[in-house]
Amino acid sequence: MSRITHTTGGAAAAIKDTAVQKLSTRAQRDERLGWSLVAPSVIIILALILYPVLYNIYLSFFDVSLSEGNTFSGLANHREILGDAEFWKAISTTIIYVVFTTVGTTLAGLGTAIVMNKKFPLRGLVRSLILLPYVAPVISVVFAWQFIFDPVNGIFMDIFYDKLHLFSERFSLIGSPSTAVWVAILFAIWKNFPFTYLMILSRLQAIDENLYEAAEIDGANGWQKFRHITLPEVYFVVNAIILLRVIWNFNKFEEVYLLTSNVKVLSVYTYLKAFTGTMDLGQGATLAVLQFFILIGFILFYVKKVLKW
Amino acid sequence: MVKRKNIFRSIGFALLVFLIVMFALFPFLQMASLSLKYQWDWGNPSFIPKQINLEAYKELLNIGQELKNVPESIVLLLEEQPDLTDAQRKAILAKYQDTGDVFPFLRYFANSLILASIAALMSVTLAVFGSYSFSRLRFRGQSAVQRGVLFVYMFGGILLLIPLYKVFVALGFISTPTGTFISLMTIYMVQTLPVSLYMLGNYFRTIPYSIEEAAMIEGASRFGTIWRIIIPLSLSAIVTVYIYSFMIAWNEYLFASVFLKSFKEYYTLPIGLKTLFNSKNAIWDRIMSASMLTALPVIALFMTIQKNLAGGLTSGGVKE
Repeated sequence: MSRITHTTGGAAAAIKDTAVQKLSTRAQRDERLGWSLVAPSVIIILALILYPVLYNIYLSFFDVSLSEGNTFSGLANHREILGDAEFWKAISTTIIYVVFTTVGTTLAGLGTAIVMNKKFPLRGLVRSLILLPYVAPVISVVFAWQFIFDPVNGIFMDIFYDKLHLFSERFSLIGSPSTAVWVAILFAIWKNFPFTYLMILSRLQAIDENLYEAAEIDGANGWQKFRHITLPEVYFVVNAIILLRVIWNFNKFEEVYLLTSNVKVLSVYTYLKAFTGTMDLGQGATLAVLQFFILIGFILFYVKKVLKW
Repeated sequence: MVKRKNIFRSIGFALLVFLIVMFALFPFLQMASLSLKYQWDWGNPSFIPKQINLEAYKELLNIGQELKNVPESIVLLLEEQPDLTDAQRKAILAKYQDTGDVFPFLRYFANSLILASIAALMSVTLAVFGSYSFSRLRFRGQSAVQRGVLFVYMFGGILLLIPLYKVFVALGFISTPTGTFISLMTIYMVQTLPVSLYMLGNYFRTIPYSIEEAAMIEGASRFGTIWRIIIPLSLSAIVTVYIYSFMIAWNEYLFASVFLKSFKEYYTLPIGLKTLFNSKNAIWDRIMSASMLTALPVIALFMTIQKNLAGGLTSGGVKE
């Protein structure tokens, strides 16, 4: 552009013209290039994520068979599911699971983040060690958890039966549905608190130290500093994590199914319906759709009422 | 008085840190300890084995298994016949070896490795261009693309599983092992693509545009700048995203369990382990050492990218 100022009259206008032309062609080129670079990703995501979701909704109205075609069955799948006591049991199990894992993970993550934000020796090492539960493959840690609660050799029974005599006999905590759900909840908290901790810690590190110093001068104690400085600062990130955690834990499959076959949350119930026994894919699809709409409903509610966006 | 209070405080604090670390590591210690214990030692609540047992690891890694299960008389017989060729010896021994059937760890390991490394490679390659596009170029629909990527967070695996299974069956992919393997690879690529796009996009935005501009004034094309400037500058981020995608694919169970059901040879580690646990060959030391060997590569990879990954996760690039 600077060259234009040195030239005179018509020549300048001509150059300016070509410059404008070049600019517009460059914008066009950018547009074309932009789309062509992102197109493969977009097409693949549309074809293998969006289309399946829509196809799933379609399938939910059919009696699906892998060998023969699908037969239209209208709302039969929906009616059958809504009349099934097991479905409602799965819903209530899922609610218990989601509520307790979300609360537990958030509190454990918040507590850990506050502790890890203080200076102490070996902090770097400790910070990365406690991320391990989040990183390790689910399949590689479930067996260790099963062993902990093993009725014969497990350390849980060793402590609570042999040493503390809290139970009258050895039993498998994972063995019955009523107790297994609590083990599954504890497992999920253990597995996911590092993520919450990491998110909250990065927010805590951004808080201005001067705020705490000023509060101290005004005579605030530990709780007051937490209540009036820390909490408001992390409020947004905590709410966002809670939303994500609810979405993820509502859809959780592996962390429940691989740990115990006795806890039937919605995903597990759907999996068993669709891929074991008579392999009722139509009902499976219907269940997945119902689960999806329950989730959407919750998200809308949460975003409007809690996050107030 | 003040000093005393401080000492109590720091002891309490150290205890708290210790508790958190123990909570996080306890199952791992349990796993490591049990994988090294003999059966008679299982009931012992201490983490330190009375006697170290490496048999399970040797069996899984196929070390020193040649003479296992071979009757002593045969071993003696072989030793007394020096004129047998190596091939003949092997043929005789092969009759007694069936360790592969117990749990072909190395085979499953290779399956997982191939699946995860190729899927992650495809995902990252697509993501480099895709995220460059929406973080650098201006075009209509750009922000819609960018935001659309986030929607994928809401879809659980089970919602996609049934329709994708139906589609791949209809396309005839599921009838052959290779086809199944390819479908799984594609699915893993798609599952990790949104996260890769998001993380790389965030990173590219931190590279000053002026560097690129300078290159383009020098006459480099867009592709030239991506290749010679963007990729070298963000190599650490690309490696991080690659490893993260690799880990997601390595850990995946849901799709693998449905797609590979009838192809035992092609099992990945997660289904292999789950099948082992439900089989008559389930012995704690074998399960725990298999668990250890499944977790170790992931943990090692994680340690190498830990610093970068923490940044990527906290800026929103996550998948669960």
